[in-house]
Amino acid sequence: MSSDVVVDIEGLTKRFGPRTVFEDISLQVQRSEVVAVIGPSGAGKSTFIRCINYLHPFDAGRIRVLDHELVGGGAPPSKATLRQIRMQVGMAFQTFNLFPHLTALGNVMLGPMETKRVPASDARDKAMALLTSVGLADRAEAYPRRLSGGEQQRVAICRALAMDPEVMLFDEPTSMLDPEMVGEVLGTIRGLAAQGMTLILVTHEMQFAKEVADTVVVMADGRVVEKGPARDVLEHPTSERSRTFLTRVLKPLETVEDGQEQGQHGGQESGPGATTALGGDHP
Amino acid sequence: MSTLQLWGQYLPQFLAGLVVSLQLTGAALVLALALGTLLVLARTGRIRILAAIATGYVEVFRAVPVLVLLFTAYYSLAQLGLRLPGFWAGVVALGAFYGTLYGEDMRSGLQSVDPGQREAAVALGLSNGAVMRRVVLPQAFLAFLPPGTNELSNLIKDTSLVLTIGVTDLMFQANAAAAATFQPMDMFLLAGVVYFAFYILLSRILARWELNVQRRRS
Repeated sequence: MSSDVVVDIEGLTKRFGPRTVFEDISLQVQRSEVVAVIGPSGAGKSTFIRCINYLHPFDAGRIRVLDHELVGGGAPPSKATLRQIRMQVGMAFQTFNLFPHLTALGNVMLGPMETKRVPASDARDKAMALLTSVGLADRAEAYPRRLSGGEQQRVAICRALAMDPEVMLFDEPTSMLDPEMVGEVLGTIRGLAAQGMTLILVTHEMQFAKEVADTVVVMADGRVVEKGPARDVLEHPTSERSRTFLTRVLKPLETVEDGQEQGQHGGQESGPGATTALGGDHP
Repeated sequence: MSTLQLWGQYLPQFLAGLVVSLQLTGAALVLALALGTLLVLARTGRIRILAAIATGYVEVFRAVPVLVLLFTAYYSLAQLGLRLPGFWAGVVALGAFYGTLYGEDMRSGLQSVDPGQREAAVALGLSNGAVMRRVVLPQAFLAFLPPGTNELSNLIKDTSLVLTIGVTDLMFQANAAAAATFQPMDMFLLAGVVYFAFYILLSRILARWELNVQRRRS
């Protein structure tokens, strides 16, 4: 196996009681690879990505993140293994989940200070640098409730990056955002990809997936129905199930663009914005 | 003697009573908070039997009048050989009752914290202790403050029940003064005024504190 594999998932299976959420999912992610996980609502995409840092335990299979391994079923992993994995795997959530009692800066400083005993002054410098890199230096002292959704998500990304993760997970990072804020968050993620960060993202932004992802994984009915280079999968899907999904997601987009609404949205994010509304994966 | 002269004459006695009421409030508050914490730990913990005991305790003690608890602590325990001084019987009874209320307030405070907060903290690699200390408790505390301060106001008023077991609190002094002067109207009015003044003072202080805590976070 190549030493450049950052995340190696084999035979992952997850059940909620009698219901199987997904079964036998395998995925290898190379360093600097960008993997987009797409698929219809209820396909288990979010649950899948949350297994990688063990926010959800799983029932069978194994996940290896660099030198640390999680095994499904059986005894839960040791605290040390979990901590190691979570320190190397950063995550941004659909609902941002910033800590409301801390400023933007405080949110970004917390991880390194609590887990790595980084002195406050160093943590502050690093947090400021990160916030500056996403254009939020002037919002450092603001509390989350004073920030727009797009600003909150960018702070949340900085919070995860402050831990110097080896891989970043994005769980539908733009689906709770107003359309005009989607672009700024996608821009930040695009920047991470350009810097060579390894990314796994669950998304409904097909255009973005096509542009940024190396690999697209289509999940449906609890299985991976198709996996391959982004452009191939999105433009020439081979599996019947992913073809129906992509048609359903992309067709309304064409009607919107052909129809009278054209011009109201403008910009390259307008299409995916429309699909988000139609193909939302909210519980 | 006019009302004001009577008040002037008895005010020192009333204030001495108020001091006892406050000591009782303070001691009962400490007991109630400690008990409430234990109840929350037991009810949210993994040991089934402790959770069941805590739930049973809350169900029973919340449903019984404070006066019954007070008489139990003072008279019934004495019959069993545990003779508590009136003051401490009051602390035990009020603490036992308010512990259930504080326990519930703390529990709902903890439950008010969005599960996503825990997830985000865990995903950063924080230990369980750090998740509680740095993320959950600061938010739970904010949700706990309004019902918690409300409980405290009620606790102060309920201390007046200890008059019935001979503790020389504010209400006891008012009752004694009313009997000595044959002026119940004036004396209980004064008791009301003293309780009221203190209540207003305290609720202002607590409200300001709450506001400060909230303002610091926005």
